[in-house]
Amino acid sequence: MNDPYNILGVDPGASDEEVKRAYRELARKYHPDNYQNNPLADLAEEKMKEINEAYDAITRSRSGGGGQSGYAYQGQQQQYQQQYTYQQAGSADAVFAQARQYINMGDLLRAEQLLRSADQQSAEWHFLSGHIAYRKGWLDEAAQRFQTACSMDPSNVEYRQALAMMQRGGGNYRPAGYHTTTCDPCTTYMCISCLTPWGGPCC
Amino acid sequence: MFGYVRARRDTMPEGAWENYEAVYCGLCHALKEGYGQRARLFLNYDFAFLAMLLAPGEAAGVSGCRKCLLHPVHGKPACAGGPWLELAAAESVVLTYWKLRDTVADEKGLTRMEARGLERWLRRAYCRARECCPAFDAQVSAQLEKLRGLERTGCASLDQTADCFACLLRAAAPGTGEGARDRVLGELLYHLGRWIYLIDAVDDLDEDRQQGRYNPVAVRFPQWSEADRAYLRRSMDHSLALAGAAFQLLEGNAWTPVIENILYSGLPGVEELVFSGKWNEQQKRYRREHP
Repeated sequence: MNDPYNILGVDPGASDEEVKRAYRELARKYHPDNYQNNPLADLAEEKMKEINEAYDAITRSRSGGGGQSGYAYQGQQQQYQQQYTYQQAGSADAVFAQARQYINMGDLLRAEQLLRSADQQSAEWHFLSGHIAYRKGWLDEAAQRFQTACSMDPSNVEYRQALAMMQRGGGNYRPAGYHTTTCDPCTTYMCISCLTPWGGPCC
Repeated sequence: MFGYVRARRDTMPEGAWENYEAVYCGLCHALKEGYGQRARLFLNYDFAFLAMLLAPGEAAGVSGCRKCLLHPVHGKPACAGGPWLELAAAESVVLTYWKLRDTVADEKGLTRMEARGLERWLRRAYCRARECCPAFDAQVSAQLEKLRGLERTGCASLDQTADCFACLLRAAAPGTGEGARDRVLGELLYHLGRWIYLIDAVDDLDEDRQQGRYNPVAVRFPQWSEADRAYLRRSMDHSLALAGAAFQLLEGNAWTPVIENILYSGLPGVEELVFSGKWNEQQKRYRREHP
């Protein structure tokens, strides 16, 4: 592993509080919520893993080598996987299950081809088409598809989450000094506070 | 491009503004050295932004003062050149040239004659510039052609038309073989391109309606109600959020605070001005204050 202090951007002589602050800022930046359904989510996940390992290494070395790690990043890893992997079981239709697999692999072209041959009247078709559009950066089409999926099947949690993501408008991260946009306490604080390693608000 | 990619001085961290001016100045010198004095006329902040994105981690923000016609005595702080700055200069000449060709094909009367004159004036510089970035040149030509086709048929999809300009801008960061960096820069530039295309469409909306010209926002939102405006802004802010999320995955360089300022403060500020109809007035004031 590279120098953990270098990864967190702090001096080896930094106090525990400074190390923690640097770690928190980076964890806020690469938090899974900021990369939900993002085509670069895998890279953010790598970064998060790297900073978690660096923070662990520093806290372990400072507590005499054998101490408990400062933060168990495994939990964070699982969160990523929950958020970015579509459940194959979520789809009853074999074509849709296959399309979900292609979307997960980032093979949008094959996913699109498959959907062309599928039942284009179903809510799931609109939902998956919305995801392909989102990955391509076609955000207007994605919002419309998710809206249609929700109207057709309002009780589906997966579709509602996708539409809520569009209404939030992407990740909430803003660097220090640019916190001008207001965070909706209901959607941001309540959802994020349980996910941040420090159990507090995201911003 | 269109000059919408601006930083905000009031929110810029201390010391970062000098680096911003230095890259602008460095790009101006790179244009002169590569393509002669006339190419300098087409210098703009959008390509200064591109240069900052392409700059490697080891490039210094300011590297001494350089004199020019506008600053003949004391000179201005400028960054040192390098392949990244030469590439940004070449790409700015290529895109300017194709935009002029586009205007010649689309417009009529005086605007067309003016564009034709400028296009001829820039032709030699363009021929030299395209040798530095043949793939970008091909992509700009192909995407603008595609966009023209969509505009002529009155394309109703906002995403489809914006995709042309977004893909064009994505091509401004050529592949380096570093998979992660290429993906990150590609995503960032795609969403920046999408945002630029849409902000330009909103900015031109009234004029295009009066002249009966195609405008993707007018076609997508015939009513252009408050709800439509809010929806489009949310979609554009979403693109900015995705560009920002991509940027956070890039290795930093001397211009990281400037790029951050542009993405998180400059562009939202421009968006606010365009949507509130104050952008043109602000532009005129800016030109008066910064001749």
